Amino acid sequence: MAALLEVRNLKKYFKSPGGTVHAVDDVSFEIEEGKTVGLVGESGCGKSTLGRTLIHLNESTEGTIVYKGKDVTHLNKKEMVAFRREVQMIFQDPFSSLDPRQTVSDIIKEPMLLSKSMSKAKVEERTEELMDTVGVEKRLRMSYPHELDGGRRQRVGIARALALNPKFIVCDEPVSALDVSIQAQILNLLMDLQEQMGLTYLFITHDMSVVKHISNQICVMYLGQMVEKCDRNELFAHPTHPYTRALLSAIPTTDIHAKKERILLKGEIKSPIDPGEECRFCSRCIYAKEECKKAQSLTEISPGHFVACCRAKELTDT
Amino acid sequence: MTEKNEAFFEIQNLTVEYHSGNAIIHAVNDVSLSLSQGETLGLVGETGAGKTTIARAILRILPEHSVESVSGKVMFEGKDILEMNARDLHDLRGRDISMIFQDPMTALNPVKTVISQIAEGYKLHHGCPQAEANERAIKMLEMVGIGANRAYEYPHQFSGGMKQRVVIALALACSPKLLLADEPTTALDVTIQAQVLDLIKDLRDELGTAMILITHDLGVVADICDKVAVIYAGRIIESGTKEDVFDHPAHPYTQGLFAALPDLEKEVERLSPIEGLPPDPSVIRKGCDFMERCPHRCDRCTSFDNNMVELSTGHFSRCYRTGNEEA
Repeated sequence: MAALLEVRNLKKYFKSPGGTVHAVDDVSFEIEEGKTVGLVGESGCGKSTLGRTLIHLNESTEGTIVYKGKDVTHLNKKEMVAFRREVQMIFQDPFSSLDPRQTVSDIIKEPMLLSKSMSKAKVEERTEELMDTVGVEKRLRMSYPHELDGGRRQRVGIARALALNPKFIVCDEPVSALDVSIQAQILNLLMDLQEQMGLTYLFITHDMSVVKHISNQICVMYLGQMVEKCDRNELFAHPTHPYTRALLSAIPTTDIHAKKERILLKGEIKSPIDPGEECRFCSRCIYAKEECKKAQSLTEISPGHFVACCRAKELTDT
Repeated sequence: MTEKNEAFFEIQNLTVEYHSGNAIIHAVNDVSLSLSQGETLGLVGETGAGKTTIARAILRILPEHSVESVSGKVMFEGKDILEMNARDLHDLRGRDISMIFQDPMTALNPVKTVISQIAEGYKLHHGCPQAEANERAIKMLEMVGIGANRAYEYPHQFSGGMKQRVVIALALACSPKLLLADEPTTALDVTIQAQVLDLIKDLRDELGTAMILITHDLGVVADICDKVAVIYAGRIIESGTKEDVFDHPAHPYTQGLFAALPDLEKEVERLSPIEGLPPDPSVIRKGCDFMERCPHRCDRCTSFDNNMVELSTGHFSRCYRTGNEEA
């Protein structure tokens, strides 16, 4: 199947007083239509910046973004309006992503009114339909966000994202701020919507168990770069990059009898300001050798499994 | 020396109410728990369940302006903390019982160096000269893996994980007998969380500190605790050893929590969320608190007296079904 979205060598740098922040550094991947790509990594690794750059909330520094076979890296105002109709975003914090002075129905209506593509009556009808789809009771139409709990707020955010029938949605940690019992409700909702509407997701999270549940493909990011990329099951069966391995071993599980070998990473993530050429993980890597002090690029080690580590071949044998 | 296995810390029937507008918020309802020396209890529950209120009630640092009433007993080494005078309380805080707060970003004073913040409490409680307190502070920093060369830096110069280490050093500087850790790793990334949990475990074992760990993460509890208490709507609804609760979860809410977690080992098409929301804490209900969301509810639940049922020695569940049908 053709890729809905294709990203080639995307870079996003920010200028700061200390130097250039390499937030996203030479990232390539594609997302097939109707599928979910999970993007995982620690805070500050550039996940959100990548998501925002894809849908033009940030302008990219270098690289190309191809959507439906068309280059959308640079868009004029008219093209942007059309593009934004098809791509939407669900934000992490349902407390700050909704306007506190708007009612639930105003929030959901806004994108439709702005697009000027529907009559008033149609907008009303569609708003009710959307509230129904995401499971927000109609009696809450005139409520304000502060009157709702976190789960309902996130549902309203999802309804707003769905208002214009988008094709592609960037979900930026949509369940991180929610309790587990509510988190499961929202994850089920997102998966149902995908099935019904054929949506394509880029799902950004730091929670490995959530990403495993929802994704088809998983990309692991470290300090602005992609270090491993493959099918969901392949990643959990054969994690190869030392960082992926450490990440997986660090997840606390509820199985109290499992004796897990935990790989404890030393130190902390390097500064993304002018990080230099060498492997960005090698200062924390337990397998690091002299030969690792060079730039790493994604290499296919088995069909569809890409790893950015020069010792990947050796590591797969261990 | 008292008996090692005797409960040296015990909460009896703790109830905390806040006022909010005209409503009374029943934040903590009749909570009892006990802890032996060196033991770690995990207090698990969702947002608003009353976890942090319990920890704050223990140290009597509840927000005074919004507290309506606090009743019950918090017994520490034979004395009731809730009845203590200001002077005894002052001696107790930080020396006998100390707390690690959730957010390392706001728990530290931004305008003081980390060494002076750690030394402050030690100097106060031991009445020692500054030099000795500084020496202690540096020792504590080294214990949590921060070199002496960074002792004179300010909190903003440290990363999140490092700040949480400083907060831990601060909490343990006076070798407290009881440590209250309120979501100590929630603000941290998993790899850093693993580092910090290991550190807390090592220090706890080395110093023999008892600990109440507050968290919403069952994985963290599995990693570090001996005993578990699950709290829902201000009430403990299940308690027991870690093995009791994790291997044989008895209360429908506990079972629901485990079922709602995406499992790394198993492949499931759909998650099983707990439908509905926690009850309004300003309404006094009759019967079981969890009734509305419970898949097993029946007529008897509305008249449930909310007493704990003992399933096996030390394993309690606040549901009449447990012990009847399932045991």
